[in-house]
Amino acid sequence: MDINVIFFGVLTEVTGTTRKHYGNVKSFSDLKHRIEDDFPGIIHYNFRIAVNNEISDGEPVLKEADEVAYLPPFAGG
Amino acid sequence: MIRNVKHPNLNLMHLIDGPLPPGVISDVVANAGNNTDSGGHSLFVGQVRRDLVDGKYVKAIEYSAYEEMVMSEADKIKKSILSEFDDIKKIEILHSRGVVNAGEISLVVLVSAGHRHDAINACSKTVELIKQKLPIWKKEIFEDNSEQWKENDSL
Repeated sequence: MDINVIFFGVLTEVTGTTRKHYGNVKSFSDLKHRIEDDFPGIIHYNFRIAVNNEISDGEPVLKEADEVAYLPPFAGG
Repeated sequence: MIRNVKHPNLNLMHLIDGPLPPGVISDVVANAGNNTDSGGHSLFVGQVRRDLVDGKYVKAIEYSAYEEMVMSEADKIKKSILSEFDDIKKIEILHSRGVVNAGEISLVVLVSAGHRHDAINACSKTVELIKQKLPIWKKEIFEDNSEQWKENDSL
């Protein structure tokens, strides 16, 4: 699957980017490990995952062209 | 003056570049007046506080947002408020993105209802849900130009 990953808040500094495309993604677990390989520092941060704008509390089932967002704790207001 | 980003017909959530000019308050009140079945509007105005953190004063906050999700989560907040409170006529949220200096406005929430108690309580709940649910982040910028990401206290 082709998956677009976007990063927000402090994670844009940890990864040095706001978005990255991953091809041939087999599963969320596969994607997660590839992201951790690319950006090892990310494991030290708290974040939640959203898939196509919806928070996913478990391990999401991805499909082609999904947008996966890495969301640090919110700080609006 | 008010730019609606994604949901032109919803008229609920607006992300505005930079500080919210105080004039938006009169704008949202004037707009809310079109609902003549409302008996009152409750308004919350949030401003950037010049916090003292580890001996340094906050000069400004830089906000960033996941815009699409802000819009979908604001929609959920609206549905939640409408189901919890009676007689809500209007909910309008304006939030800054980008840099807002200490003393400038970063959030305006207006809730209109048939009667005052629902307006006041629903406005309070809406502000809490904004803090918990909207994917918005802030970085404190201190007077010495150092920076630090900040989280809201409760999730």
